[in-house]
Amino acid sequence: MLWVSNIIDSKKVTDKDDDLKYVILCQKGNADAFEVLVERHQKKMLNIAFRMMGDYDEACDVAQEAFLAAYKSIKKFKAEAKFSTWLYRIVINYSKNRLKQIGGRKRREGVSLDDSGEVKTEGVLNQSADCDNPGKSLEMREREVQVQKCIASLDEDYREVLILRDIQGFSYEEIRDILKIPDGTVKSRLSRARNVLKDCLIKVIGDL
Amino acid sequence: MKKCEEIENNLPFYLDNSLPDAEKQAVEKHLNSCARCTKALVELSNTQSVVSNLAEVEPPPWFKQKIMSMVREEAERKSFVQKWFYPLKIKIPVQIFATVFVAVLAVYIYRAGEEQIKAVMPSSAPAPVMEISKNQLPVQSREAPETFAINVKKEKIAAGKDKNDEKAVMYDVSSGVATPKAEELKKARLQENVRSGELDAAKSVKENIIPEAKADRYASAPAAKPKELSAGELRKEEKGNILETVRKSKKTKVAQSVISKTAVALHVADVDGAAEKVEKLLAKYGSKNIVRQMTEDKAVLTAELKIQNMKDLMMQLKAIGRTEEIILPAGDSDGNIVLVIEILNN
Repeated sequence: MLWVSNIIDSKKVTDKDDDLKYVILCQKGNADAFEVLVERHQKKMLNIAFRMMGDYDEACDVAQEAFLAAYKSIKKFKAEAKFSTWLYRIVINYSKNRLKQIGGRKRREGVSLDDSGEVKTEGVLNQSADCDNPGKSLEMREREVQVQKCIASLDEDYREVLILRDIQGFSYEEIRDILKIPDGTVKSRLSRARNVLKDCLIKVIGDL
Repeated sequence: MKKCEEIENNLPFYLDNSLPDAEKQAVEKHLNSCARCTKALVELSNTQSVVSNLAEVEPPPWFKQKIMSMVREEAERKSFVQKWFYPLKIKIPVQIFATVFVAVLAVYIYRAGEEQIKAVMPSSAPAPVMEISKNQLPVQSREAPETFAINVKKEKIAAGKDKNDEKAVMYDVSSGVATPKAEELKKARLQENVRSGELDAAKSVKENIIPEAKADRYASAPAAKPKELSAGELRKEEKGNILETVRKSKKTKVAQSVISKTAVALHVADVDGAAEKVEKLLAKYGSKNIVRQMTEDKAVLTAELKIQNMKDLMMQLKAIGRTEEIILPAGDSDGNIVLVIEILNN
């Protein structure tokens, strides 16, 4: 019965999926239909990659690769879950793979592991800065860099849950579908991630 | 009362309002009496607000275009592959056609190759035959003189007949087998061929006027027949002595049939003197197995000579008397020939 209800749930999910008709067009060979999907999801894809990677340029590369990979295997998409869920899983996996590559490269090049948490967000976060108040924007930028450092210090498994829930605002169900992990695991990882992040921020920023 | 550590673990879910009622009440009860956990809850709430208020990054302006250019490139590549290999209604007929085409082509090439091999084989065949003739030359030259004496008269008679017969005679002379008259020879050949059922042999006899190269072609197997036939005819005419010749000719039939031969008639005033001179000349030009046969009014010299020395020898012979070449040597400049010089009285 549970199995049947899951299918019904997934049916409901896909019925509400606005992306589905464009996905079907893509599956029929209409590449232009993919542009709509890119337009809809590019920002979220890039932000997930950016928070995972902590580097804007790397995040752009990863998001592009993830989109291309999604297009290449779009025929494998069975509409069991929302297209966006499937797409975000791809970008998360690509981000984790890229992080492994970078980690391996840094180890080979003998770069200090203390620098691994450093993020290159300068210039990028200026986009959200308030031009009328340069002092405040500088303070905000500094704070954001510190926050990103703390996010980057989390283990990947905790980081991805925190990003999806607290930054991107996905529901527990969506996170479960994206990461393909049970609800309990999502919650426990999220709890752990929040507490570790809180301790990190207190350490870096001071009183919250 | 629960410990602070347990409460702290539940605080994130308390903030999310995702705790079951019982646990939620327990947390609230604890928070009322624990300043540390209350502080932790505030910090946690602030952390969440900090994180959720993080600025979003914007994609660069070229972002979508770049993705789409990659996607379209992929689509073109995919469509090319699909065009040729999908769907099955195209793929299967194309594969069937290709398979049939390859099969037909293979058969055609195989057959064409076979014809070419057939065309090439006869021209390449004489090479080993020539080798055989070279190897067997000494055997032939040893046998030839024994039979030659018997042939002399017959040869002379045959020489007066038509050209074909004359050449037929010469063929037999050089192979060291006695030669009957032309008509009788033909009859005998026909009878023998019918008896043996070997048409190839008959053909080789009829065509024995052809040059050496062609004679060599028949030499490998059926060429032995003409000698047998000639010998059979001789049995009727000369019996006794010839029987021995026939037996010997059977032994050497293959070798005899494949050797190049040349007959020269030399008209001189003094047969004996000329025979001496010719013999010396033959020795001078490195001839082997020189055999002289003397009769009442003529002498016949048989020798094995290198073809390249043939021309010089002929010049020398012209100085001795009037020469008449009955059969010319083959065009092949290598190898030996059997030269028969008939010295006749003017």
